[in-house]
Amino acid sequence: MKFAAHQAYLHTRVSAMATRLFQPGTLALLAERRVEELAAEYDLTAALESQLPVKARSRAVEQALINTLLAELRVLIRPMDAPERTLILDWGRHYALANLKTLIRGKLHDLDRKVIASNLYELPHDLRLPMQDSLFQAENVLELLRQLEGGPYSFIARQARVVFERQQEPFALEAAIDQRYLTGLVRDISPFPEQECPCLRRLIGALLDRIDILWLLRFRFAYQLSSSVTFFQLVPSVRRLHRERLLALVNLDSFAAVLAALPPPFEALLAGSHDHMEVQRRLNAYVRGEALDVIHKGQTGVARAMAYLILREQDLMALFSLIQGRLLELPAQVIKVAIETSGARCHPSQRQAA
Amino acid sequence: MLRPTPMKHVRLLVIDEDLPRASLTLAELASFHADERSPEEEGFAGQPSVAYRDIWRQASSRLEKITRLIPLPPDRQPPRPRVIPEEELTATNNWLGSLWETCSLYEEEFRAIDDEERLIREQQSALSNFEGLGIDLGMLRSKTRFLDFYVGLVPYANVRQLEGAVGLADHLLFQYMVTGDDAHVVIVGPSGDKASQLESVLRSAGFRALPIPPELDHEPQVMRAELARRRDETASRREALRQRLRDWSADLIERLASSREVLWLAEPLVRLDTAIRGAGPLARLAGWVPATAVAPLEARLRQTLSLPFDLSSRDPRPDERPLVPTIATRSRLLAPFALLVQQYGIPRYGEIDPTPLFAASFLLMFGTMFGDVGQGAVIAGLAWYFRHTLGRFYLFGVLAGLSSIAFGFVFGSVFGFEHWLPALWMPPLHDPLLMLSLALGWGVFFIAMACLLATYNRLVVGNWAGALFGHHGLVNLIFYLALAWGGYNVSQGQGFGTGPLALVILSLGALAWHGWGHLEAPRSEKILVVFIETLETIVGYISNTLSFLRVAAFSLNHAALALAIFTLAEMMGPVGHGLTLILGNVFMIVLEGGIVLIQVLRLEFYEGFARYFAGDGHAFSPLRLGPAPERGTAP
Repeated sequence: MKFAAHQAYLHTRVSAMATRLFQPGTLALLAERRVEELAAEYDLTAALESQLPVKARSRAVEQALINTLLAELRVLIRPMDAPERTLILDWGRHYALANLKTLIRGKLHDLDRKVIASNLYELPHDLRLPMQDSLFQAENVLELLRQLEGGPYSFIARQARVVFERQQEPFALEAAIDQRYLTGLVRDISPFPEQECPCLRRLIGALLDRIDILWLLRFRFAYQLSSSVTFFQLVPSVRRLHRERLLALVNLDSFAAVLAALPPPFEALLAGSHDHMEVQRRLNAYVRGEALDVIHKGQTGVARAMAYLILREQDLMALFSLIQGRLLELPAQVIKVAIETSGARCHPSQRQAA
Repeated sequence: MLRPTPMKHVRLLVIDEDLPRASLTLAELASFHADERSPEEEGFAGQPSVAYRDIWRQASSRLEKITRLIPLPPDRQPPRPRVIPEEELTATNNWLGSLWETCSLYEEEFRAIDDEERLIREQQSALSNFEGLGIDLGMLRSKTRFLDFYVGLVPYANVRQLEGAVGLADHLLFQYMVTGDDAHVVIVGPSGDKASQLESVLRSAGFRALPIPPELDHEPQVMRAELARRRDETASRREALRQRLRDWSADLIERLASSREVLWLAEPLVRLDTAIRGAGPLARLAGWVPATAVAPLEARLRQTLSLPFDLSSRDPRPDERPLVPTIATRSRLLAPFALLVQQYGIPRYGEIDPTPLFAASFLLMFGTMFGDVGQGAVIAGLAWYFRHTLGRFYLFGVLAGLSSIAFGFVFGSVFGFEHWLPALWMPPLHDPLLMLSLALGWGVFFIAMACLLATYNRLVVGNWAGALFGHHGLVNLIFYLALAWGGYNVSQGQGFGTGPLALVILSLGALAWHGWGHLEAPRSEKILVVFIETLETIVGYISNTLSFLRVAAFSLNHAALALAIFTLAEMMGPVGHGLTLILGNVFMIVLEGGIVLIQVLRLEFYEGFARYFAGDGHAFSPLRLGPAPERGTAP
C-alpha cells in the first residue's frame, strides 16, 4: 500500500513537472526572443540585471538554472525510498564532482582562491561535497584527495589519489573521477527489483552508451591513447555497449571503422558523422528520445523521475547556452551549435569536451 | 523562571577603523547574538571584512592541520583582548603556511611508513599463498626473454576492467587473493612493443608491484623472519620519526600557542562578518542582547572605542519574535531537564520555558509510577557514583531516584517490601480504583494546564484567533473542562448534566464555525472536514485523558511485580530466595525503571509539549572570546 501510494505520488509529480519540458521547436522560438524576455519568463532577472561583468552574469544565470533543476530534484526525492533517493542524489552529484574538478584544477594550477571560489557551484547541503570548505583550504591536490577519502566520496577519491600519485596528469585524474562516478550510478541500480530494472537500465544504459561512444572516439582518435588505456577508462554499459563490445570497438583503428561497427541503433544513427560535434549532437538527441520514451511509457516512478531530470537539465542548459551566447554577442549559428550539443553542463563528457 | 529573559535588538554604528575593537568588546562581554538580516537602512551593502575572514579561515585550517601533528596544550583561559590588525593576521597565516609545508613532509613520511608496513603485511599474506602454489616462483621474479611478469596489488574495483585492458595488450591477468580493498594479481604476457602500453594501463589502474624475494624458492621460513624483521624496522622508523618531530617542534610550541591566541582574538570579527554591512567608512552591525546587558555594553564600548559610535536599542517587534534568540535555563538543577527539552526544541522567544514545569511533572509522575525507597536509592546512588561519566545528566538520575524514594515513603515500599516501613499514605494495591481516579484527575489537570499554556503562548505573540480557536486554545479548553465535568457527573451517577452539555455543544459549535470559515472547498467537502475535525477533537481529548491511566497502572504494576517476585522467592530455598529477591529487584530497576522513564517522557512530549510548545526557537549563542569548546553555552 505504501509502495503504491508513493509510486502514485511520484508518477503524478513527474507528469505534472513534465509539462515544463521544452516541446520540439520551443528552443527555436526562444532563440527569437530578447534576453530580457527570457529572463522574465525563467526568473533570471536578478541574475541578469546586476552590474557585474558578462562572465559573472553568465555564471549567475547558470547558477540560477542549476538551482531550479536541483530544487526540482529535491521535490522529486521527497516520496522516494532509500535506494531511489540514493540513485537520484548520486546522479545530481555530478555538480559536486564539477566542483571537485574545479578545486583540483585550481590547486594544480595554483590559481587565486577568489578565482577558484567564483567557479564553484553553490549546491544544496545534500548534494555538495562533504567538508567543501575544508577541501577549499587544502594546500594541494594530494591533501585535498586525502581529505575527501575520509568521507562518502572515498570510492572516487581513493582511485583519484592513486592515479594522481602515479601519473600527476590532470586528464588521468579527471578521467578516474568520471569513471568512478559512472560506475557508482551502475552500482546504484543493482538494489532495484526486477520489474523496476528495465526502465532504469534503459535510461542509465542510454547515458552510458552515449558517454562510451564519445569517450572512445575522443580517447582513441583525438588523444591517440592506446586501445588498452582507452578501454580501461570506459565504463561498460548495462545496455548496448557492454564489455565485450567495447573490447572489440577499442581495437578498431579509425573513426569511421568504429562508427560502422557500432551496434544498432547507433550504426544508423551516427552514419555519415564526420566529427565529434556531430556525433555528440546526434547522441544527445538519442538520449532525449530514450528519456522521453521512459517518461511516456515508463512504469516506475524513479525511472520517470530520472528521465525528467535528464531532460530538464538538457533544456535548462540549452537555455543557458542561448543566453550565454547572447551575452557574449556570438553569431546565431554558433549559438545554434552550442544549443544542439549542450547536454548536462557538468557532465563528464561535456567537461572533457570543453 | 518561566518567563524568557527580555531581549533588546541593538544596532551599532562604528567607524570602519574601530570595527575590530568593537567586535572584541562584544565578544569579551559575551552578550551579543548577531542578527544576520540585511539592514533596513538603505546604503549599507558591502561586507567590509571579507579579506580578513578569508585569511583567518586559511590560517585556522592550517593551524588545525598542524596541531594534528603537534598537539598544543589546552588553554581554557580567554586571551587578553587586543586588536589583531590584518597585517598581523596575514603574517601569522604566512608563518603557519610555511610551517605546514614542513609538517606536511612529516605527514607524508608517516604515510610512506604506513604504506610500507601495509605492503609488508600484503607480502606476508602473499607468502602463505605462494607456498601452496607448488610452482617455481623464481620464474616470476623478473622478465624473461619471451615473457613479462607483473605480480602485485590493484584496487579490487579495477580488476575486471584491468583484465579486459591487459587482454588488449595480449596479456593475461590472474587474481589469486583479495585482502581488504585490494586484489593480488599476476599479469603475464609476451615481451615486446606492447609493454609500454601495459605500463600506462597499470599506472591508471593503481597497480603496485609486490617484489618476489629470492628466499621464497627454498626457504619460506627465512623470508617470514625477514618480513617480521622489516615490520619491526618500520615500527622503529615510525618512532624515530615521532621523536624527530617532537625535537623539531619543541621550539615551535610557544609560537604556535601565540598563533592560536591571535586566531582566537581575530575570530570575533570573522564570526560577525555575516552581520556587518558597510557604507563608506561606516560599519553597521546588529544583534540581540539581553535587556540587562545593554547598558554595560554601551559603557564598555565607550571605554574601548576611540572613535565616535552610535548604539541604539529597541524591543523586538511582534514580527521579529521568531528571530529573537532564547536564553536557556541556567539553573544547575534544571540543566539535565533542559537538555531533554532541547531534544524536542528550543522555546520560541516569548513562549513559556517548559523546563521547570517539565522537571516538576516528570519527577511527580516518575515517583508515582516507580515509588520505592530502596530502588530509588539505588538509582540515585548509581547516578551519583557515575557522575563523572554521566556529566551534567547525573543530576537527572539523582533527582529521579530521590523522587522514587519520596513516593516510596508515601507508599511504604522498600525493595518491594511493604511491611518494613509504615506508609505515609497507602500502598497502591490497597485501593486500585482510587489510584486510577487520581491518575485521571491528574490527566485532566495536566491537559488543562497545557491548553492554558498554549493559549498564553499565542496571546503573547498577538495571535488572538489562535489563542481562542486554535488547537488546544481557549475554546478547546472550555470544551474539555465541560467534557470532564460531564464525565465526573456520569461517574457520580447523576447523568451528564445540562450545564456541561450546553458548554460542550457551544464550544464544539464555535470550533466548527471557525473551521468552516477557514476552509476553502466545496460545501460537501466542508461538511465532511468539519465533521471529522469535530469528531477528532472529542475522541482526541478523551483518549489523551485516558492515556494518564498509565500513571496509576505502572504504580500498581510496580507493586504487583514485587508481589510476583516474592511469590517466586517463597518457592526457593534460602539461597534461591535471596538470589531471586536480588535479581528480581535488578530486573525491576533496569526493565521497569526504563519502561517508566519512556512512558513519562512520552506523556510529557506527546500530551504536554505537542499542545503548547512550538520548539522552533533559536538558542542564544553570543559572540565569545577564547577556546572553541566553551562557545554555544549560556552566559
